[in-house]
Amino acid sequence: MNIVVCVKQTFDTEAKIVFDSQGRIDPNGVNLIVNPYDEFALEEGIRLKEKFGGTVTAVSMGGARAQEALRTALAMGADKALLVSDPALNDADEWVSTQALAQAISKIPYDIILAGRVAIDDGSSQVCVRLAEELHLPSVSTVVKFSVEGNKATAVREIDGGTETLEIELPVVLTAQKGINGNEPRYPSVAGIMKAKKKELKTMTLADLGLAALEPKMKISKYDLPTPRQAGKKVPGEPAAAAQELVKLLHEEAKVL
Amino acid sequence: MDEIKNVSLEMKDYIASSGAETLSWCMQCGLCTNLCPWRLVPGEVSENFNIRKMQRLGQLGLEGFEEENILFACVTCGMCQINCPRKVEIIDNVRSMRNTTVGAGFLPPHLRPIAGSLHANGNPWSGEREKRAAWQNGLDIPAFTEDTEYLLFVCCTSCYDTRSKKIATSIVRLLKAAGVNFGVLTAEENCCGESIRKLGDEELFQKLAQGNIDLFKRKGVKKIITTSPHCLYAFKKDYPELGGEFEVMHYSEVLAQLVKEGKLSFPQELARKVTFHDPCYLGRHNQVFDPPRELIQSIPGVEFVELDRSRNKSLCCAGGGGRIWAEVPMGERFGELRITGAVEKQADTLVTACPYCIIMLDDACAGLEKGDVLQVMEMSELLCTALDTK
Amino acid sequence: MPKGIWIFVEQRDGQIRKSSFELLSEGRKLADQTGEPLVGVILGEGVESLVKVVAAQGADKVILVEDEKLKNYSTGAYTSALNQVIRKGEPQAFLMGNSAAGRDLAPRLAQRLGVGLASDCTGIEHDPEKFLVFKRPIYAGKAFAYTGTTVRPVVATIRPNTFAISSPDESRQVEVERETVTVDPADLKAIVKEMALATSKRPELVEADIIVSGGRGMKGPENFAILEQLADVIGAAVGASRAAVDSGWREQKFQVGQTGKTVSPTLYIACGISGAIQHLAGMGSSKFIVAINKDPEANIFNVASYGIVGDLFEVVPLLTEEFKKLVSA
Repeated sequence: MNIVVCVKQTFDTEAKIVFDSQGRIDPNGVNLIVNPYDEFALEEGIRLKEKFGGTVTAVSMGGARAQEALRTALAMGADKALLVSDPALNDADEWVSTQALAQAISKIPYDIILAGRVAIDDGSSQVCVRLAEELHLPSVSTVVKFSVEGNKATAVREIDGGTETLEIELPVVLTAQKGINGNEPRYPSVAGIMKAKKKELKTMTLADLGLAALEPKMKISKYDLPTPRQAGKKVPGEPAAAAQELVKLLHEEAKVL
Repeated sequence: MDEIKNVSLEMKDYIASSGAETLSWCMQCGLCTNLCPWRLVPGEVSENFNIRKMQRLGQLGLEGFEEENILFACVTCGMCQINCPRKVEIIDNVRSMRNTTVGAGFLPPHLRPIAGSLHANGNPWSGEREKRAAWQNGLDIPAFTEDTEYLLFVCCTSCYDTRSKKIATSIVRLLKAAGVNFGVLTAEENCCGESIRKLGDEELFQKLAQGNIDLFKRKGVKKIITTSPHCLYAFKKDYPELGGEFEVMHYSEVLAQLVKEGKLSFPQELARKVTFHDPCYLGRHNQVFDPPRELIQSIPGVEFVELDRSRNKSLCCAGGGGRIWAEVPMGERFGELRITGAVEKQADTLVTACPYCIIMLDDACAGLEKGDVLQVMEMSELLCTALDTK
Repeated sequence: MPKGIWIFVEQRDGQIRKSSFELLSEGRKLADQTGEPLVGVILGEGVESLVKVVAAQGADKVILVEDEKLKNYSTGAYTSALNQVIRKGEPQAFLMGNSAAGRDLAPRLAQRLGVGLASDCTGIEHDPEKFLVFKRPIYAGKAFAYTGTTVRPVVATIRPNTFAISSPDESRQVEVERETVTVDPADLKAIVKEMALATSKRPELVEADIIVSGGRGMKGPENFAILEQLADVIGAAVGASRAAVDSGWREQKFQVGQTGKTVSPTLYIACGISGAIQHLAGMGSSKFIVAINKDPEANIFNVASYGIVGDLFEVVPLLTEEFKKLVSA
């Protein structure tokens, strides 16, 4: 069984967002990690390989630093890695990313393509489903349970207020929810880390993929930061009055309910 | 039967190259394991973690030490190391073995927010960098200038935790009372990096340390007073490797000297029975045993009693080596043994001199519900209560 | 020339989802602002009765597509159908709720149309050049991006609860356009076998938008029932501090804090939690923090956006009642 796992390198969850002189988000000095949802996708991909044999290829798109994310994938147990990297992709939107990744993945044999259900940086949760469409494959989003039998797979996905069970023929694209199949992303052995250093990690540019620079569909005009948290206030009064006032504040001032 | 694994010279070399230079000196006598505080508590970590075996796995390049319960169990208390007949630098070996996975980007999940915060905020407590010096508002603490004698370096914990801030403010008050010429650079400082280095993230440690060393040099810092023994350790033992040579003292050393010189005294009588928990990083690691005892005993009215395990044999609170962020079930926390020990001595006050020890001991005291008979205090707080004449 | 702001009216079992009402309400305002017609698109089987509901909510026109393959939501059939009606009708913008279905459908549809998609938006503004500019929270709400395009149509999914629902006007007349579509068999490769709706299933701690948490002040395991009641009214997860876990009142997997689960929900309600530093560091990035504690000096008040100093056993049930009133309003 051949598995492709899409891995994105994202800012650390603790990272502070700072803008550069052009008002864009400045990645300098920010610690980068593998998107946590993609770690669950990787775990699932590696488990499928362990069960059915085959190859896991980790695919990423990004700058040179994204190689670290792919090394992580290799240490966890992926067999090969491919990085799509090109300065022309710096302003890529989800459509552009999809075209590049689809082109790259179409050259790899696959039965299952996996990714996390969302990346914690732009939070757009688009590319993997777009990829399925581009490759003319069925997709199942936010999968919490997955099993394969022969050429058929069963996937349970989260829907609002419940779950839905689907039957699909392979090949298929899946986006993984945290905790898919009840597993935690593995913690690799030192041997795994050492082995990973010798595994194949290929980098391809748009030209290598036979693509010209692509014009994005969406353009970000600006970024800004949320207004800083107001100093806290104690809601005074008797319990009943305080509870009433608190709910009013949450609804009207904080607008959280 | 354990699965038979292959000896890997390659892995052995990899571990040694991460800094475990004395790993091969170990002759497997097992004294370390027997002296380890984990032997004093029951539970899963205690059953899995054997420091002698961990060293052996490293020597042979065998897998099996990477499991979180083994690799990240050591509290770096140093009990084994100071007694090792072969003078193996056991803690360095632990640090290096941790670095083999952490250096490749694999910190256990529960430690990732800590490293993340150190990267982003310069402290492990997810505190905003801009608020590092917020506790100083209204305290009139001088900024460090070229004419200042001492830099007062305050532990991140005491900059952000409301409980721990009392330690910082007490130390400031004592230094002022003794007329010490000191100043702060708090807003510009990073975490000292002691704990993250022990956790094996050498790269992050160097980033934090280099930031501090550059700052200290730029400002002309020569002498540093630390509030925490962990910062003391980092500045004295880690920073010289990176070219940061300073004269560093824990606040207890400075104050004890001032008492001797008659520049600081405690007029208020305190009718307390006090015992002292030696922080590992103050005692065993830096051999500062007498100053805290001298200070406590200089308070009139105080009856001082030693715990059964004291000075070089002190029992760790379990907050070192990154364990302050570990999740340990009740009944397996070393701090509980300390609280029980203090209660057995019929002390009413358990004093220590480290912000980490305070967190661990406070937690154990609340967990054991001993708050009605025993008060856990940082030494600076006790000294401050004896400062006032009524 | 593309025309109209189209709203995907999401229905399940003949019930229109709340997020669709929100979008129709805001869509009406945008339509008035831009002079564009507002069009509601309903997919399903036997859902004609929904037309008047959509009309009352402000639509100028309703496109109704009824087919047995569209009775329940499926990625393929819905993509196929919407692709056909959108290509035919050429709207300026196609908006849907960022529900589980919206999140699944929008990227697939946008890719088939070869257009851009602004997902999970929390604001829409009219723009002379790009027609609409969308505000999107990024980095878990630590920043916002404003995005737009001149490519038509622009597709967007909007986060639920972003817009208020306006009161319906039953007298509104509406033009109804019935469309038939052919669902490509290639789009039916994933077959829905079963749907299980859980009643009052609490969300996962790390995924939850609202968390209600209890600490030492809860005094015993049985008292967590009052937190659960509160949580179920507002769809929250229930967490615990280390002290509560230590005491054996809650399982370790529910522990919030640096040493448990690090969370950053929109709203965190801390009940009887004093606020040890490891706890605060594990939930301090929550957007709003509410603290209920009888000790006015408790650490937790230092990070709380709103605090009530009082007995949680008195305050929490009162809060539950107030939330009930709000939710049912």
